[in-house]
Amino acid sequence: MNEKELLRHYKTTGDLSALGKLYSPYMSLLYGVCFKYLQDPDRSQDAVMQIFEELIQKLRHYEVDNFKSWLHVYSKNYCLMQLRKDKRTTQVDIEDNLFESEQKLNSSEEAKWEERDFERLEGCMQTLNQEQKECVRLFYLEQKCYKDIADLTGYDLNKVKSAIQNGKRNLKICMERKENGK
Amino acid sequence: MENNYQLSRIHNYIHGLMSREEMFQLEKEALEDPFLQDAIDGYRLQNGVDARQLSLLQQRLSRRVEDTIATRHAQYYTWQRLAIGAAAGVLFVVLLALLYFKHFNGTAERSTDVTLSEPENMVAIEPLLDGGEATPLGGWKAFEQYLNNQELDTGRGGEIIVNFTIGKDGLPEQIRTEGTPEQALADEAVRLLRSGVKWQGAKARLKITFPIKEMKHPSQSNVIKPPHCFGIEKS
Repeated sequence: MNEKELLRHYKTTGDLSALGKLYSPYMSLLYGVCFKYLQDPDRSQDAVMQIFEELIQKLRHYEVDNFKSWLHVYSKNYCLMQLRKDKRTTQVDIEDNLFESEQKLNSSEEAKWEERDFERLEGCMQTLNQEQKECVRLFYLEQKCYKDIADLTGYDLNKVKSAIQNGKRNLKICMERKENGK
Repeated sequence: MENNYQLSRIHNYIHGLMSREEMFQLEKEALEDPFLQDAIDGYRLQNGVDARQLSLLQQRLSRRVEDTIATRHAQYYTWQRLAIGAAAGVLFVVLLALLYFKHFNGTAERSTDVTLSEPENMVAIEPLLDGGEATPLGGWKAFEQYLNNQELDTGRGGEIIVNFTIGKDGLPEQIRTEGTPEQALADEAVRLLRSGVKWQGAKARLKITFPIKEMKHPSQSNVIKPPHCFGIEKS
Protein backbone atom coordinates (compact mmCIF):
# COMPACT_ATOMS: atom_id res chain seq x y z
CA MET A 1 0.00 0.00 0.00
CA ASN A 2 1.27 3.46 -0.77
CA GLU A 3 0.86 6.44 1.49
CA LYS A 4 -2.54 7.49 0.16
CA GLU A 5 -3.92 3.98 0.44
CA LEU A 6 -2.55 3.61 3.96
CA LEU A 7 -4.19 6.91 4.91
CA ARG A 8 -7.51 5.86 3.48
CA HIS A 9 -7.24 2.42 5.02
CA TYR A 10 -6.53 3.88 8.43
CA LYS A 11 -9.30 6.44 8.15
CA THR A 12 -11.90 3.79 7.40
CA THR A 13 -10.69 0.97 9.66
CA GLY A 14 -8.71 2.63 12.43
CA ASP A 15 -6.14 -0.13 11.99
CA LEU A 16 -3.20 1.10 14.04
CA SER A 17 -0.63 -0.98 12.25
CA ALA A 18 -1.49 0.93 9.07
CA LEU A 19 -0.89 4.19 10.87
CA GLY A 20 2.36 2.77 12.20
CA LYS A 21 3.51 1.94 8.68
CA LEU A 22 2.58 5.43 7.59
CA TYR A 23 4.31 7.13 10.48
CA SER A 24 7.46 5.19 10.97
CA PRO A 25 9.33 6.41 7.84
CA TYR A 26 8.94 9.97 9.06
CA MET A 27 10.12 9.39 12.58
CA SER A 28 13.73 10.32 12.01
CA LEU A 29 12.78 13.54 10.25
CA LEU A 30 10.22 14.24 12.94
CA TYR A 31 12.79 13.75 15.63
CA GLY A 32 15.00 16.31 13.95
CA VAL A 33 12.14 18.78 13.70
CA CYS A 34 11.20 18.25 17.33
CA PHE A 35 14.79 18.65 18.44
CA LYS A 36 15.03 21.88 16.54
CA TYR A 37 12.27 23.34 18.69
CA LEU A 38 12.47 21.47 21.97
CA GLN A 39 16.26 21.08 22.03
CA ASP A 40 16.16 18.11 24.34
CA PRO A 41 16.62 14.48 23.25
CA ASP A 42 14.11 12.94 25.68
CA ARG A 43 11.49 15.56 25.12
CA SER A 44 11.91 15.22 21.39
CA GLN A 45 11.44 11.47 21.54
CA ASP A 46 8.37 11.87 23.69
CA ALA A 47 7.06 14.49 21.32
CA VAL A 48 7.43 12.09 18.37
CA MET A 49 5.40 9.50 20.25
CA GLN A 50 2.90 12.07 21.44
CA ILE A 51 2.33 13.33 17.92
CA PHE A 52 1.62 9.75 16.92
CA GLU A 53 -0.98 9.53 19.70
CA GLU A 54 -2.65 12.66 18.38
CA LEU A 55 -2.64 11.35 14.84
CA ILE A 56 -4.56 8.29 16.04
CA GLN A 57 -7.52 10.59 16.59
CA LYS A 58 -6.88 13.24 13.98
CA LEU A 59 -6.38 11.02 10.98
CA ARG A 60 -9.65 9.27 11.55
CA HIS A 61 -11.49 12.55 11.17
CA TYR A 62 -9.49 14.69 8.79
CA GLU A 63 -8.94 14.29 5.12
CA VAL A 64 -5.24 14.73 4.55
CA ASP A 65 -4.06 15.33 1.05
CA ASN A 66 -0.33 15.69 1.34
CA PHE A 67 0.63 13.68 4.37
CA LYS A 68 4.26 14.73 4.44
CA SER A 69 3.71 18.46 4.51
CA TRP A 70 0.68 18.10 6.74
CA LEU A 71 2.74 16.09 9.20
CA HIS A 72 5.50 18.66 9.10
CA VAL A 73 3.19 21.55 9.90
CA TYR A 74 1.40 19.49 12.51
CA SER A 75 4.56 18.48 14.33
CA LYS A 76 5.91 21.99 14.22
CA ASN A 77 2.72 23.34 15.70
CA TYR A 78 2.80 20.62 18.31
CA CYS A 79 6.31 21.59 19.37
CA LEU A 80 5.49 25.31 19.43
CA MET A 81 2.48 24.52 21.61
CA GLN A 82 4.74 22.58 23.95
CA LEU A 83 7.04 25.54 24.24
CA ARG A 84 4.16 27.88 24.85
CA LYS A 85 2.91 25.56 27.59
CA ASP A 86 6.31 25.68 29.24
CA LYS A 87 6.33 29.44 29.02
CA ARG A 88 9.84 28.77 27.98
CA THR A 89 10.69 31.35 25.37
CA THR A 90 12.78 30.06 22.56
CA GLN A 91 13.87 32.19 19.72
CA VAL A 92 12.18 30.95 16.61
CA ASP A 93 13.18 32.56 13.40
CA ILE A 94 10.09 33.98 11.81
CA GLU A 95 11.62 33.56 8.35
CA ASP A 96 11.82 29.82 8.90
CA ASN A 97 8.21 29.69 9.88
CA LEU A 98 7.04 31.69 6.94
CA PHE A 99 8.85 29.28 4.74
CA GLU A 100 6.32 26.47 4.66
CA SER A 101 3.80 28.29 2.51
CA GLU A 102 6.32 28.30 -0.30
CA GLN A 103 6.10 24.61 -0.82
CA LYS A 104 2.60 24.92 -2.17
CA LEU A 105 3.65 27.65 -4.56
CA ASN A 106 6.50 25.54 -5.78
CA SER A 107 4.53 22.45 -6.47
CA SER A 108 1.98 24.26 -8.62
CA GLU A 109 4.57 26.11 -10.60
CA GLU A 110 6.37 23.89 -13.03
CA ALA A 111 5.60 26.05 -16.01
CA LYS A 112 8.05 26.44 -18.85
CA TRP A 113 10.19 29.48 -18.81
CA GLU A 114 10.32 31.80 -21.75
CA GLU A 115 12.91 34.39 -22.66
CA ARG A 116 11.07 37.28 -21.05
CA ASP A 117 10.74 35.26 -17.84
CA PHE A 118 14.52 35.22 -17.60
CA GLU A 119 14.59 38.93 -18.25
CA ARG A 120 12.02 39.41 -15.55
CA LEU A 121 14.07 37.28 -13.19
CA GLU A 122 17.15 39.35 -13.89
CA GLY A 123 15.12 42.48 -13.14
CA CYS A 124 13.92 40.98 -9.89
CA MET A 125 17.42 40.01 -8.88
CA GLN A 126 18.23 43.70 -8.84
CA THR A 127 15.53 44.28 -6.24
CA LEU A 128 17.18 41.96 -3.74
CA ASN A 129 19.57 43.35 -1.16
CA GLN A 130 23.24 42.71 -1.54
CA GLU A 131 23.45 39.64 0.70
CA GLN A 132 20.50 37.93 -0.85
CA LYS A 133 21.58 38.78 -4.40
CA GLU A 134 25.05 37.44 -3.74
CA CYS A 135 23.96 34.25 -2.04
CA VAL A 136 21.17 33.42 -4.44
CA ARG A 137 23.46 33.90 -7.39
CA LEU A 138 26.18 31.73 -5.91
CA PHE A 139 23.72 29.04 -4.89
CA TYR A 140 21.39 28.83 -7.85
CA LEU A 141 23.62 29.88 -10.70
CA GLU A 142 26.98 28.63 -9.59
CA GLN A 143 25.54 25.74 -7.61
CA LYS A 144 27.74 26.26 -4.64
CA CYS A 145 26.90 24.73 -1.32
CA TYR A 146 26.21 26.86 1.78
CA LYS A 147 29.62 26.21 3.18
CA ASP A 148 31.40 27.42 0.06
CA ILE A 149 29.21 30.48 -0.08
CA ALA A 150 29.99 31.20 3.55
CA ASP A 151 33.70 30.83 2.80
CA LEU A 152 33.49 32.98 -0.31
CA THR A 153 31.43 35.79 1.17
CA GLY A 154 32.63 35.61 4.73
CA TYR A 155 29.05 35.44 5.97
CA ASP A 156 27.97 33.16 8.75
CA LEU A 157 26.55 29.82 7.57
CA ASN A 158 23.11 30.56 9.03
CA LYS A 159 23.13 33.97 7.43
CA VAL A 160 23.84 32.34 4.08
CA LYS A 161 20.97 29.95 4.56
CA SER A 162 18.40 32.57 5.48
CA ALA A 163 19.67 34.93 2.77
CA ILE A 164 19.03 32.20 0.21
CA GLN A 165 15.63 31.33 1.65
CA ASN A 166 14.53 34.93 1.81
CA GLY A 167 16.04 35.82 -1.50
CA LYS A 168 14.20 32.94 -3.10
CA ARG A 169 10.93 34.07 -1.60
CA ASN A 170 11.42 37.67 -2.57
CA LEU A 171 12.22 36.64 -6.11
CA LYS A 172 9.05 34.63 -6.28
CA ILE A 173 6.95 37.49 -4.99
CA CYS A 174 8.61 39.88 -7.44
CA MET A 175 8.09 37.49 -10.35
CA GLU A 176 4.43 37.06 -9.57
CA ARG A 177 3.89 40.75 -9.23
CA LYS A 178 5.50 41.38 -12.62
CA GLU A 179 3.55 38.63 -14.27
CA ASN A 180 0.25 39.97 -12.98
CA GLY A 181 1.13 43.56 -13.73
CA LYS A 182 2.69 42.72 -17.14
CA MET B 1 13.53 3.18 3.32
CA GLU B 2 13.87 6.52 1.68
CA ASN B 3 14.07 7.93 5.12
CA ASN B 4 17.12 6.03 6.22
CA TYR B 5 18.76 7.29 3.10
CA GLN B 6 17.79 10.83 4.06
CA LEU B 7 19.05 10.21 7.56
CA SER B 8 22.46 9.08 6.43
CA ARG B 9 22.61 12.05 4.09
CA ILE B 10 21.80 14.36 6.96
CA HIS B 11 24.44 12.65 9.04
CA ASN B 12 27.04 13.01 6.32
CA TYR B 13 26.03 16.58 5.67
CA ILE B 14 26.36 17.64 9.27
CA HIS B 15 29.68 15.90 9.75
CA GLY B 16 31.07 17.33 6.53
CA LEU B 17 31.37 13.95 4.87
CA MET B 18 29.74 15.10 1.67
CA SER B 19 31.22 16.44 -1.50
CA ARG B 20 30.31 19.99 -2.44
CA GLU B 21 27.93 18.75 -5.11
CA GLU B 22 26.14 16.47 -2.66
CA MET B 23 25.91 19.28 -0.15
CA PHE B 24 24.47 21.59 -2.76
CA GLN B 25 22.01 18.90 -3.80
CA LEU B 26 20.75 18.38 -0.27
CA GLU B 27 20.56 22.09 0.37
CA LYS B 28 18.53 22.56 -2.77
CA GLU B 29 16.18 19.76 -1.80
CA ALA B 30 15.82 21.25 1.64
CA LEU B 31 14.84 24.57 0.11
CA GLU B 32 11.94 22.83 -1.60
CA ASP B 33 11.19 20.65 1.40
CA PRO B 34 10.83 22.58 4.63
CA PHE B 35 10.33 19.31 6.51
CA LEU B 36 13.79 18.18 5.51
CA GLN B 37 15.21 21.61 6.28
CA ASP B 38 13.73 21.58 9.77
CA ALA B 39 15.07 18.10 10.39
CA ILE B 40 18.54 19.13 9.24
CA ASP B 41 18.39 22.17 11.51
CA GLY B 42 17.39 19.91 14.41
CA TYR B 43 20.14 17.41 13.88
CA ARG B 44 22.66 20.15 13.46
CA LEU B 45 21.58 21.49 16.85
CA GLN B 46 22.03 18.04 18.28
CA ASN B 47 25.43 17.80 16.61
CA GLY B 48 24.60 14.72 14.67
CA VAL B 49 22.34 11.78 14.18
CA ASP B 50 22.00 9.29 17.00
CA ALA B 51 20.98 6.03 15.38
CA ARG B 52 20.38 4.33 18.71
CA GLN B 53 17.89 6.98 19.71
CA LEU B 54 16.03 6.51 16.49
CA SER B 55 15.90 2.73 16.70
CA LEU B 56 14.59 3.16 20.24
CA LEU B 57 11.88 5.40 18.85
CA GLN B 58 11.01 2.79 16.24
CA GLN B 59 10.75 0.22 19.01
CA ARG B 60 8.48 2.47 21.01
CA LEU B 61 6.25 2.92 18.01
CA SER B 62 5.97 -0.77 17.24
CA ARG B 63 5.33 -1.52 20.92
CA ARG B 64 2.65 1.14 20.91
CA VAL B 65 0.99 -0.41 17.88
CA GLU B 66 1.16 -3.91 19.35
CA ASP B 67 -0.15 -2.70 22.69
CA THR B 68 -3.22 -1.28 21.09
CA ILE B 69 -3.85 -4.49 19.26
CA ALA B 70 -3.42 -6.35 22.55
CA THR B 71 -5.68 -3.85 24.29
CA ARG B 72 -8.26 -4.35 21.63
CA HIS B 73 -8.06 -8.07 22.24
CA ALA B 74 -8.39 -7.48 25.94
CA GLN B 75 -11.38 -5.28 25.32
CA TYR B 76 -12.79 -7.93 23.08
CA TYR B 77 -12.46 -10.45 25.85
CA THR B 78 -13.94 -8.00 28.27
CA TRP B 79 -16.95 -7.71 26.03
CA GLN B 80 -17.08 -11.45 25.85
CA ARG B 81 -16.98 -11.63 29.61
CA LEU B 82 -19.66 -9.01 29.82
CA ALA B 83 -21.81 -11.02 27.46
CA ILE B 84 -21.29 -14.12 29.56
CA GLY B 85 -22.11 -12.12 32.64
CA ALA B 86 -25.26 -10.79 31.04
CA ALA B 87 -26.28 -14.28 29.97
CA ALA B 88 -25.64 -15.55 33.49
CA GLY B 89 -27.74 -12.70 34.84
CA VAL B 90 -30.59 -13.55 32.52
CA LEU B 91 -30.33 -17.21 33.46
CA PHE B 92 -30.36 -16.30 37.11
CA VAL B 93 -33.52 -14.24 36.69
CA VAL B 94 -35.15 -17.03 34.70
CA LEU B 95 -34.17 -19.49 37.40
CA LEU B 96 -35.62 -17.24 40.06
CA ALA B 97 -38.82 -16.90 38.07
CA LEU B 98 -38.97 -20.67 37.61
CA LEU B 99 -38.42 -21.20 41.31
CA TYR B 100 -41.08 -18.67 42.10
CA PHE B 101 -43.60 -20.28 39.76
CA LYS B 102 -42.66 -23.72 41.01
CA HIS B 103 -43.25 -22.57 44.54
CA PHE B 104 -46.49 -20.90 43.57
CA ASN B 105 -47.65 -23.99 41.71
CA GLY B 106 -46.57 -26.11 44.67
CA THR B 107 -48.90 -24.28 47.03
CA ALA B 108 -51.65 -24.52 44.47
CA GLU B 109 -51.08 -28.24 44.27
CA ARG B 110 -51.14 -28.47 47.98
CA SER B 111 -54.53 -26.81 48.13
CA THR B 112 -55.73 -29.23 45.47
CA ASP B 113 -54.43 -32.01 47.63
CA VAL B 114 -56.58 -30.78 50.42
CA THR B 115 -59.74 -30.81 48.37
CA LEU B 116 -58.92 -34.22 47.01
CA SER B 117 -58.10 -35.62 50.38
CA GLU B 118 -61.04 -33.98 52.02
CA PRO B 119 -63.23 -37.04 51.79
CA GLU B 120 -60.44 -38.99 53.37
CA ASN B 121 -59.40 -36.70 56.17
CA MET B 122 -62.21 -34.27 56.62
CA VAL B 123 -65.87 -34.18 57.24
CA ALA B 124 -67.53 -32.41 54.36
CA ILE B 125 -70.99 -30.96 54.25
CA GLU B 126 -73.02 -30.52 51.13
CA PRO B 127 -76.33 -28.84 51.68
CA LEU B 128 -78.90 -30.31 49.33
CA LEU B 129 -81.21 -27.39 48.74
CA ASP B 130 -83.98 -29.46 47.20
CA GLY B 131 -84.67 -30.85 50.67
CA GLY B 132 -84.65 -27.72 52.78
CA GLU B 133 -83.45 -24.19 53.19
CA ALA B 134 -82.22 -24.13 56.80
CA THR B 135 -78.70 -22.95 57.42
CA PRO B 136 -76.55 -23.38 60.48
CA LEU B 137 -76.11 -20.30 62.65
CA GLY B 138 -72.62 -19.08 62.00
CA GLY B 139 -72.57 -20.39 58.45
CA TRP B 140 -71.63 -23.59 56.72
CA LYS B 141 -67.94 -23.16 57.22
CA ALA B 142 -68.27 -22.88 60.94
CA PHE B 143 -70.53 -25.95 61.01
CA GLU B 144 -68.07 -27.92 58.96
CA GLN B 145 -65.29 -26.82 61.24
CA TYR B 146 -67.31 -27.84 64.26
CA LEU B 147 -67.78 -31.29 62.77
CA ASN B 148 -64.12 -31.62 62.09
CA ASN B 149 -63.24 -30.70 65.64
CA GLN B 150 -65.35 -33.54 67.04
CA GLU B 151 -64.11 -36.91 68.03
CA LEU B 152 -65.60 -39.02 65.29
CA ASP B 153 -66.66 -42.59 65.49
CA THR B 154 -67.95 -43.18 62.03
CA GLY B 155 -66.83 -46.71 61.37
CA ARG B 156 -65.32 -47.00 57.94
CA GLY B 157 -66.64 -43.59 57.05
CA GLY B 158 -68.47 -42.65 53.89
CA GLU B 159 -71.35 -40.58 52.67
CA ILE B 160 -74.66 -40.17 54.34
CA ILE B 161 -77.66 -38.05 53.48
CA VAL B 162 -79.71 -36.76 56.38
CA ASN B 163 -83.03 -34.94 56.57
CA PHE B 164 -84.21 -33.05 59.57
CA THR B 165 -86.39 -30.27 60.72
CA ILE B 166 -85.43 -27.46 63.02
CA GLY B 167 -87.03 -27.34 66.41
CA LYS B 168 -88.10 -24.27 68.39
CA ASP B 169 -84.79 -24.31 70.24
CA GLY B 170 -82.98 -24.20 66.90
CA LEU B 171 -81.68 -27.72 67.15
CA PRO B 172 -82.36 -30.42 64.58
CA GLU B 173 -85.26 -32.75 65.21
CA GLN B 174 -86.72 -35.74 63.42
CA ILE B 175 -83.37 -36.67 61.99
CA ARG B 176 -83.74 -39.28 59.32
CA THR B 177 -81.09 -40.84 57.16
CA GLU B 178 -81.66 -41.75 53.58
CA GLY B 179 -80.83 -45.10 52.12
CA THR B 180 -79.12 -47.76 54.14
CA PRO B 181 -75.99 -46.32 55.60
CA GLU B 182 -73.75 -48.08 58.01
CA GLN B 183 -75.31 -47.95 61.46
CA ALA B 184 -72.27 -46.39 63.10
CA LEU B 185 -72.26 -43.69 60.47
CA ALA B 186 -75.95 -42.92 60.93
CA ASP B 187 -75.62 -42.82 64.70
CA GLU B 188 -72.63 -40.56 64.58
CA ALA B 189 -74.40 -38.20 62.18
CA VAL B 190 -77.40 -37.96 64.45
CA ARG B 191 -75.23 -37.44 67.50
CA LEU B 192 -73.24 -34.72 65.80
CA LEU B 193 -76.35 -32.91 64.64
CA ARG B 194 -78.07 -33.12 68.03
CA SER B 195 -75.09 -31.87 69.97
CA GLY B 196 -74.04 -29.36 67.36
CA VAL B 197 -74.77 -25.87 66.32
CA LYS B 198 -78.14 -24.26 66.18
CA TRP B 199 -79.96 -23.74 62.94
CA GLN B 200 -82.27 -21.22 61.46
CA GLY B 201 -84.96 -22.11 58.98
CA ALA B 202 -87.52 -24.90 58.87
CA LYS B 203 -85.84 -28.01 57.56
CA ALA B 204 -82.66 -29.15 55.90
CA ARG B 205 -81.24 -31.93 53.80
CA LEU B 206 -77.51 -32.53 53.92
CA LYS B 207 -75.03 -34.86 52.49
CA ILE B 208 -72.28 -35.45 55.01
CA THR B 209 -69.12 -37.10 53.89
CA PHE B 210 -67.06 -38.69 56.62
CA PRO B 211 -63.42 -39.58 56.12
CA ILE B 212 -62.99 -43.08 54.82
CA LYS B 213 -60.79 -45.16 57.02
CA GLU B 214 -59.75 -48.74 56.63
CA MET B 215 -58.73 -48.95 60.23
CA LYS B 216 -61.06 -47.89 62.97
CA HIS B 217 -59.04 -45.25 64.64
CA PRO B 218 -61.34 -42.37 65.22
CA SER B 219 -58.52 -40.13 66.33
CA GLN B 220 -56.79 -40.65 63.01
CA SER B 221 -59.76 -39.48 61.08
CA ASN B 222 -59.40 -36.27 62.93
CA VAL B 223 -56.28 -35.35 60.99
CA ILE B 224 -55.59 -31.73 61.35
CA LYS B 225 -55.79 -29.74 58.26
CA PRO B 226 -52.58 -27.78 57.73
CA PRO B 227 -53.40 -24.32 58.95
CA HIS B 228 -51.96 -22.54 55.95
CA CYS B 229 -54.43 -24.27 53.70
CA PHE B 230 -57.41 -22.53 55.14
CA GLY B 231 -56.68 -19.29 53.51
CA ILE B 232 -56.29 -20.89 50.13
CA GLU B 233 -59.41 -22.93 50.57
CA LYS B 234 -61.42 -19.83 51.38
CA SER B 235 -60.29 -17.95 48.37
